[in-house]
Amino acid sequence: MAATQTTGNAGPLEGLRVIEVGDLAEWAGKLLADAGADVVRVEPRDGARSRHAGPYVGDRPDTNHSLRFAAANTSKRSVTLDLGTDEGASLWADLVCRAELVLDGAGPDGLENIGLGASRFRGERAELLWCSITPFGLNGPWRDWAANDLVQLALGGPMMSTGYDDHSLPPIRADGEHSIAMSNEYAVTAILAALWLRDESDEASGQLIDVSIHESVGATTEGSFPNWEYLGQRVLRQTGRHAAAQRNARWQYKCTDGDYILLMGGGVPRDGKIFAGLLEWMDEHDAAGDLHDPKYAQVLYTDPTMNVEVRNHVATTIGEFVQQLTAEEAYRRGQSLHLPWGLVRRPEQNLADPHWADREFFWEGELSGHPEPVRYPGAPYKFLKSPVRLRRRPPLLGEHNHEVYVGELGRSADELPQLAASGVI
Amino acid sequence: MGVLEEADRSGDARPLPLAGVRVCDFTWIVAGPQATRILADLGADVVKVENESYLDSMRLGLQNPDRPPGYNGSGFHGNFSRNKRGITANLHHPSGREAAERLIAQSDIVIENFSAGAFDRLGFGWERLQELNPDAIYISLSGFGQTGRDNSYITWGPTAAAVSGATQMSGLPDEDPAGWGYSYLDHTAGYYGAIAALMALVHRRRTGEAQYVDMAQIETGMVLTGVPVLDYQVNGREYTRIGNRSEYPAIAPHNIYRCAGDAFEDDRWIAIVAESEGQWAALCEVLEAPELASDERFASNEARKQHEDELDAAITALTRPRDPRALMYTLQARGVAAGLCQRTDDKMEHDEQLAARGFYPTAPHDELGEHRYEGFPAQFSDARWRMVRGAPLLGGDNMEVLSELGYSPEEIGQMMAELAV
Repeated sequence: MAATQTTGNAGPLEGLRVIEVGDLAEWAGKLLADAGADVVRVEPRDGARSRHAGPYVGDRPDTNHSLRFAAANTSKRSVTLDLGTDEGASLWADLVCRAELVLDGAGPDGLENIGLGASRFRGERAELLWCSITPFGLNGPWRDWAANDLVQLALGGPMMSTGYDDHSLPPIRADGEHSIAMSNEYAVTAILAALWLRDESDEASGQLIDVSIHESVGATTEGSFPNWEYLGQRVLRQTGRHAAAQRNARWQYKCTDGDYILLMGGGVPRDGKIFAGLLEWMDEHDAAGDLHDPKYAQVLYTDPTMNVEVRNHVATTIGEFVQQLTAEEAYRRGQSLHLPWGLVRRPEQNLADPHWADREFFWEGELSGHPEPVRYPGAPYKFLKSPVRLRRRPPLLGEHNHEVYVGELGRSADELPQLAASGVI
Repeated sequence: MGVLEEADRSGDARPLPLAGVRVCDFTWIVAGPQATRILADLGADVVKVENESYLDSMRLGLQNPDRPPGYNGSGFHGNFSRNKRGITANLHHPSGREAAERLIAQSDIVIENFSAGAFDRLGFGWERLQELNPDAIYISLSGFGQTGRDNSYITWGPTAAAVSGATQMSGLPDEDPAGWGYSYLDHTAGYYGAIAALMALVHRRRTGEAQYVDMAQIETGMVLTGVPVLDYQVNGREYTRIGNRSEYPAIAPHNIYRCAGDAFEDDRWIAIVAESEGQWAALCEVLEAPELASDERFASNEARKQHEDELDAAITALTRPRDPRALMYTLQARGVAAGLCQRTDDKMEHDEQLAARGFYPTAPHDELGEHRYEGFPAQFSDARWRMVRGAPLLGGDNMEVLSELGYSPEEIGQMMAELAV
């Protein structure tokens, strides 16, 4: 089945008009924009926060050369606007007027305090969708607390499940602004569901959608939840594997080439046939130890209690074996035996894997400040008929001021320099 | 009124956004069930199709050791398959197969997360689905995707995290990768699976066209690695781990600091981030450490970043004897970003915010009884999400669903007798 053929260029959300403001909604904006929505990011005059974060092209700070901004703002347009000015407020009202959805990442009071928030515009247009993404939600005792990605992943729970066997080392936050990703992914599900409802119903049923980053992160810690709710057990973080109520054998080993291999579940095969194939491979390296003893397969595949000691012994023996291999060899040969083992890659190493080239995963496009085209990570889904794709490179700051303010909002071209000079745009 | 509507005790008249959307759900383990959990929470009628030969094996996960093991005893499974209905359909029996086909014919979305090619081999490839129902959207969620030279490779969440780069991006610079302490990419793939299904629904309404969506779990992790992937291409920089610090932007202090233990364990930590000079001054005051505030090495963010090891050691010495929750409240009252590294018991028993927002609603389950569930992390002004019932018993909704599909009680009895359902 070839999933990559498409019958046109229109994305699944073609025609959806969105404005995005603030710093907590940029991943949602990107997901919508890559899918064909017209997303206009409304930035302060000195640019969104991610423009000031880096890393930068050539490590030279420049609001148009931030890679953090580039990674989260493909396919959008950018306008600048100082919402604190009278003229800025008026332009904002015009922008909201032409949008079906406002993506509000400006904090619980960012827009309300200046009279430009959901309460005003939803009153004017009942069909408007307004999605607010805030650290803790729009109500509750922690509503106004200060937070960033580290604090959110601490409070939400992922960190206490993530780290090392050695608990003198701290819980770990994975790098990559995942609290923004999780909350923005949930936000998009809520937005699309609300859009569906709006168009299914006879009334003009807009919504205020109140997404809490804390809840989004907190909904995601898997086994720790039923362990506590059903069994009253807490889980312990462990190196490179799932947190568990009881310690278990390692899953991750350093191989001869210095790279790591991940052995899912400690590497123990899921059935006897795969176990036999693995033993054959281990025999080539004289590394099967005592695993040919039928008692192991017997316990693993016929005893439903899955004796923990046996599992740990088998896993440890497999772990010793893979340390004699390169990680690449363990990965390829393991997968050929239907073992769900993974090479622990640095992210950029995927650029060279031909499997992703076969799937046309990466998107080639321009990047401001860099002379050559670059490859952006593509979409997490391949639509047969409505491609999700790179629609335009990440915008320069205010690149679309003229296009939007003059071309779409009908301001006169002569007015723009004046608005810029007076600090409005 | 169906069994889920009857179970709804909310008394909330606001609509469920996806009411009327039917999902034929062949998913198992976590990634696929996470996708359909979202759809079911938002009101879609998700019918989980299983059989003993392709049982959702999470049904056997994390059972209470004090109860006899069974297909309906897993709270782990319950958290992912709540608000769904469940039927058994034996696809190797003609009438079991026909029941599945009737369900597909009445569904808006068909979704599975088998290994690549497996659903096709079961006889339900895209072409066949189109014959059965030209309006059905098909979401396929495999490890490496249906196409590409390694499409036969298989993943679990941690495999996908490893290959995507997510595992490497977690941990201290001088230690092994820490990875994620749970199957983060099962959840992420699930979120994107739900997004794909909804985008395809929106597209179908606009164009009348159903379609097939091919998803690879690893790609759902790779989309989150844009910064290092670009950094490598334009600056030649290979990714190196940064622990809990912040390099882009450079902020200090920005770390996890050890605190006093609690009754359970000496393993309590607090996240503290002071970005502005005002926050830094407030932090020094709360920690009663004027010597830090006046230390030249820590006089600016730049200086603190330069002396970050000394800074973190000095702060740890001050947080170590303190209760982390009390310290969090004190710091937040002064506007400093701070958060206890919460365990699940902290979240469920002591988190005032989650409690105030009603994040852990309770619902019944026919075998496990009344329990709390993780909520949906957003609230709607003029709609709602639901938490009405735990996971379906294996085949527990056969009678209701098969009746809706047009089978008479006699026919259903016959199908049961022949083990077709």
